Amino acid sequence: MIKIKEGSVVHWLIRLVWVAAVVAVVIYIPTKTTSGTVGDFTLAFEYAIAAMSLNLVLGYAGIISIGHSAFFGIGMYTTAVLVSRYDWSQGWTFYVAAAIAFVVGFLVALPALRLKGIYLAVVTLALGVLFPTLIRWDKLEWLSEGPAGIDGITYDDIPKWPLIGELRGREGRATFIYWVAVLLLVISYLVARGLVKSRVGRSLIAIRDNETAAAVMGVPRARTKTVVFGLSAAMCAIAGSLSATRLNLASPDIRNITLIGSITFLLIMVLGGAATLWGPIVGALAYVLLDARLRDAGETGEGIVGTVFNDWLNIEGSPATLVLAVILLAMMFVAPFGIVGLLRRIARRIVVIEPRPAGHPIDESNLPATTEAVAEVDEGLAPGAEVNVFADPTTTSGEPT
Amino acid sequence: MDRFFEALFLGLSAGATYSLVALALVVVYRGTGHLNFAQGEMGTLSAFMVWWFNDKGVPLLLAVLFGMAFGFLLGAATEVAIVRPLARRSLLAVFVATITLFLGINAYTSGVWGAPPDELMDSLFPNDPDDFVRVFGTIWRYKDIGTMAVTLIITGLLFLLFQKTRFGLAMRGVASNTDSARLVGIPTGRILAGSWAIAAALGALAAVLVAGNQGQVTPTLMVTVLTYATAAAVLGGLDSPGGAVIAGLLIGVGEAEAAEFAPGWIGQDMKLGVALVAIFVVLLFRPSGLFGTAKVERV
Repeated sequence: MIKIKEGSVVHWLIRLVWVAAVVAVVIYIPTKTTSGTVGDFTLAFEYAIAAMSLNLVLGYAGIISIGHSAFFGIGMYTTAVLVSRYDWSQGWTFYVAAAIAFVVGFLVALPALRLKGIYLAVVTLALGVLFPTLIRWDKLEWLSEGPAGIDGITYDDIPKWPLIGELRGREGRATFIYWVAVLLLVISYLVARGLVKSRVGRSLIAIRDNETAAAVMGVPRARTKTVVFGLSAAMCAIAGSLSATRLNLASPDIRNITLIGSITFLLIMVLGGAATLWGPIVGALAYVLLDARLRDAGETGEGIVGTVFNDWLNIEGSPATLVLAVILLAMMFVAPFGIVGLLRRIARRIVVIEPRPAGHPIDESNLPATTEAVAEVDEGLAPGAEVNVFADPTTTSGEPT
Repeated sequence: MDRFFEALFLGLSAGATYSLVALALVVVYRGTGHLNFAQGEMGTLSAFMVWWFNDKGVPLLLAVLFGMAFGFLLGAATEVAIVRPLARRSLLAVFVATITLFLGINAYTSGVWGAPPDELMDSLFPNDPDDFVRVFGTIWRYKDIGTMAVTLIITGLLFLLFQKTRFGLAMRGVASNTDSARLVGIPTGRILAGSWAIAAALGALAAVLVAGNQGQVTPTLMVTVLTYATAAAVLGGLDSPGGAVIAGLLIGVGEAEAAEFAPGWIGQDMKLGVALVAIFVVLLFRPSGLFGTAKVERV
């Protein structure tokens, strides 16, 4: 076992290698693989943004939401309506979508402050069920085009960028949307990271672990919850806008704006690892790639998956969802902290990053105020400590509620 | 007035099935403090079992009993194998597990029975064209009356179970404080598995009733019903069985009347929306539902 001090040269080198590897993969995909793979990765990034937004409220703050598909749908339809009806440029609609979703999320979270746990889950469930119904509603058909849906959303001519070169035709458009997805994912990741590693992030975790205690200790409960819920909604709407431009279609039949979407985001988040920054990204990649492979296996009826599910269990069509459900259920027992948690546990056997000691010497000469210094010491602690919703000892099963 | 009574009756009949599933949710919640998202799908799977037995020549009523027994075992197994180990970790883990179950069972039933031919199922009650009575000039079909009667009987039986039996006393003890209940010698494990089992058997019965009403078993049989039932359970207060029944009927009647008297604005499409918005408003003023008890938290 190797021990590395946090912030040492070796630690920075490891980080550098990581970043380099990620950048290499991101560049490799659109340049060296087929357009099918590029499409898969774009879809995965879209899911990653949505799951990341859910992770903020569910993973970190412990607010159960099964209504994020509605925010996804808000993003999708904002982009669709603005582009097809008012001839906006696609890029600008993302801001509007995020703003609208922020307001809706904020408004939903405001009354929801009084509700706890399951009751709140049901309010978000209502939101998730209501959204597709509203889209189909004939009184709103002038705007949403009803069950028919809206098309003609995607980029007509692709801007020419110096690094990417000239992109033309279908292939070029797929590559361009891939890069848009990468950009949005990086922004989302940075926002999530900034939020989680700040004072707000610690407030969220405190609220999750014991809301009453957090409130007593001075965490601004209402403000933190509503703003984070709004931010999360905005992030999810951006995933929706991206989806509209990628699919070139917004319709109530798209699975991700129904309750199935919320469930998918939730499963991706748990698969990757709840309350981890990389979890949603890893989970989304695993989900999309697994889904594609399983679908192929189900169609041909070959291999282990084909034998077990098509011949033994009599399943017709793709067994992808069933296999994923089984895998996820098994993961809940074997790797409760998701793929990222599992990898982290393995890595810890080999390399240990020693966090800075809690009471590391503070240079007292340039200390402006005591309170801020305490906050900074806390920050040094945060990255090393493993935090996870699924290991919350305060909530036990039998507790009558 | 005729239209009012007609909608009232239809609403009560639909509401009765919501009430049954809501009761199942409440039984689970009182026992273990979880919302079983897979309640409806477990019922659907049991209904397919009933269809399978019936298809093999077992009389329908006997097949329903088999189906309920299947549901009973399924519920107990779920509690023992999945819920109990995960509950040690957190509420959220169980919530995710029930959602996964929902997805898994739905995928299984759609995979096996999704494609035509449809799995036809008769109603449990006489359902010929002339099987109805006229009340206030409106037609009340036997199958709808039967659905309501079954709900009332089940509610009564549950009340007796909770209030008059040793098992019910133990259940109430576990619901109010699991650790203390264990200390005074109540076999909490058996009680918790029992409440999941009873709930799943109720869900199976509800699914059979819904299937009988629409004449066939489909993989999406209980998805909408579950949404209504969740809403009903929350509206009534998650720990109040009586509240669940009343709220289920209220939602059923409310949406039927709204659809009947505002067909332009609400109609069949938006009646679910009306129910959900109404619940949202009620929860604003009574965060623990109409009949639920507010939770006091200790730090």
